[in-house]
Amino acid sequence: MAYEALDFYDIDSLLTEEERMVRDMVRDWVEERVLPNIEDACRDGVFPDQWRAEIGEMGILGAPLKGYGCPGLSYIAYGLICQELERGDSGVRSFASVQGSLAMYPIWDFGTEEQKEKYLPDMARGELVGCFGLTEPDYGSNPGDMITRAEDKGDYFLLNGAKMWITNGTIADIAVVWAKLEDEIRGFIVEKGDEGFSAPEMKGKHSLKASVTSELVFQDCQIPKDRILPDVKGLRGPFSCLNNARYGISWGAVGAAQSCFNSAREYALSRIQFGHPIASFQLVQNKLSWMLREITKGQLLAYHIGKKKDDESWIPEQISLAKMNNVDMALEIARMSRDIHGANGILDEYPVMRHMANLESVKTYEGTHDIHNLILGRHITGIQSFTREL
Amino acid sequence: MGVAVLLKQVPDTTAKISVSGGRVDESSIAKWSISPYDEYALENAIKMSESGFGDVVAITCGPARASKCLTEAAAVGADRLIHVVAESTLDSIQVQALLSAAVKSAQCEVVMCGKQAADTNSGSTGPGLASILDFSFVGAVTEVSMEGGGFAATRLGPSGLEQIEVGSPCVFTFDKADTELRRPNVRGIMMAKKKPIENLSANDLEVETSNSRVSVESHSSPPEKPPGQKFVGVESIAEVVSKLREEANVI
Repeated sequence: MAYEALDFYDIDSLLTEEERMVRDMVRDWVEERVLPNIEDACRDGVFPDQWRAEIGEMGILGAPLKGYGCPGLSYIAYGLICQELERGDSGVRSFASVQGSLAMYPIWDFGTEEQKEKYLPDMARGELVGCFGLTEPDYGSNPGDMITRAEDKGDYFLLNGAKMWITNGTIADIAVVWAKLEDEIRGFIVEKGDEGFSAPEMKGKHSLKASVTSELVFQDCQIPKDRILPDVKGLRGPFSCLNNARYGISWGAVGAAQSCFNSAREYALSRIQFGHPIASFQLVQNKLSWMLREITKGQLLAYHIGKKKDDESWIPEQISLAKMNNVDMALEIARMSRDIHGANGILDEYPVMRHMANLESVKTYEGTHDIHNLILGRHITGIQSFTREL
Repeated sequence: MGVAVLLKQVPDTTAKISVSGGRVDESSIAKWSISPYDEYALENAIKMSESGFGDVVAITCGPARASKCLTEAAAVGADRLIHVVAESTLDSIQVQALLSAAVKSAQCEVVMCGKQAADTNSGSTGPGLASILDFSFVGAVTEVSMEGGGFAATRLGPSGLEQIEVGSPCVFTFDKADTELRRPNVRGIMMAKKKPIENLSANDLEVETSNSRVSVESHSSPPEKPPGQKFVGVESIAEVVSKLREEANVI
């Protein structure tokens, strides 16, 4: 049966024809290429290279960026792309988020003309893969105290340190790495093959199994002077990237939730117990209606913040709310959907357990659920509570 | 010069169809798509255009919603878009007359379309156009390429693949093939949005559509399939075999 994405409040009618066409293109691709192969990819722990190539051919990477071969779509279209990719799998959306929002965006916003010309067109085509190095083994929610250092050696920069939990790391051709240069956070472009740079893959994940996660290790890594991003200093650099990625996640989570809802609804209608479909029982209907309610709210939140991104009237706290709420609701819906599926819910025949495991990561990365609460807490009270040094 | 591709917008093959009041309830159809056989025609036309055969002119006949399939065709490479706007239900001959007039107005001497539409399965459009336009006709082809001054077409014949050579003007209808259909991309979608659609009415085309000779009396859903039968254990083998032989006629 055709996939009918839950759209109770008819968000579809608010989209432009172009946005709908982009959404349908990605939806069809996910249907044809991701869904039949995702369980194999998870079992093998790989992000199929064919997906990279095809995502590149669709031309959706760096969706809202303009110029330098980038698509120049609306933020709403970017959100829809994330929604459809994550309806397939959070790992597929992660690939696109990292490439577009975390690797292409900082070059596009903070890079030199030469850097933009050199990297962006190939990255938009998916021919050059990027990753983003901010988190370190000991500095996750608190990136400001990072250890990774860059030293100006006159002819070159010398990088030392290590990054962890880096999506796309091992398969990336370039890494946008944040490191301290004279105690100030700066962005650097490190290329695969630079001496002293390695990106070993992290193994053993129970989540985002179809996504590559790596460490980035810099051991006296020398990079040319023209690889520094000149136009940003301090945490504003990485945080502005994260704002875009978090925005995309608020839509992606809706896609994962729609997938779980869809599966729960179909299962409940076909599963007979006590002589009747379980969908006819009040407890199951209550769960389904809660899912519909939460997804609908999440969709409106994502759409509205998307409009604000498009007219540039947003503040970061609004994105924090959307990311936090939507991932939280998606994870609860995945769990509830698993419950409706009974024992069958743990099988890979259904997408729900995979989404659930993925969403545990999504809840934590790009600002944990709790950190987003603290961001909102600071917004409400004017008192920051991240650190004890008041 | 160019190749005209006729596209029909039909309910997606995965869409749920419901009937109410003796008519298919169109409002309940969640997704409309280009009829799948027409997609093979479109793919072939674009390939020919890429190898130098002039423009691809995508033509559809149908209500306002059908213009979507023209934009979709533009997103994968159609150059000109013509929408023969027809809100009322037309019979096959009227559709053929309208499409023939549109092909003439676009000055195309090659026409490609699916061998039948996924909704009506009537299979009359291609041959009908060939007859009205007095073009040659090759049906159920899987591939057409330029050959000398004419075309080489491949079709599945009674004893294997047939190679057919035919000159212009000609109508080709397409069967399902192994050809991989191209996917749209963002660039194509953005260009498609800017491409104008020429809207033509029956009046513009000087085609009379008021005197239909065929009318559809009613639609109904196919009868429900009887439930499957379940057999357990070795002792049921004889019964299964006899049912397969006498009821299912498969052994």
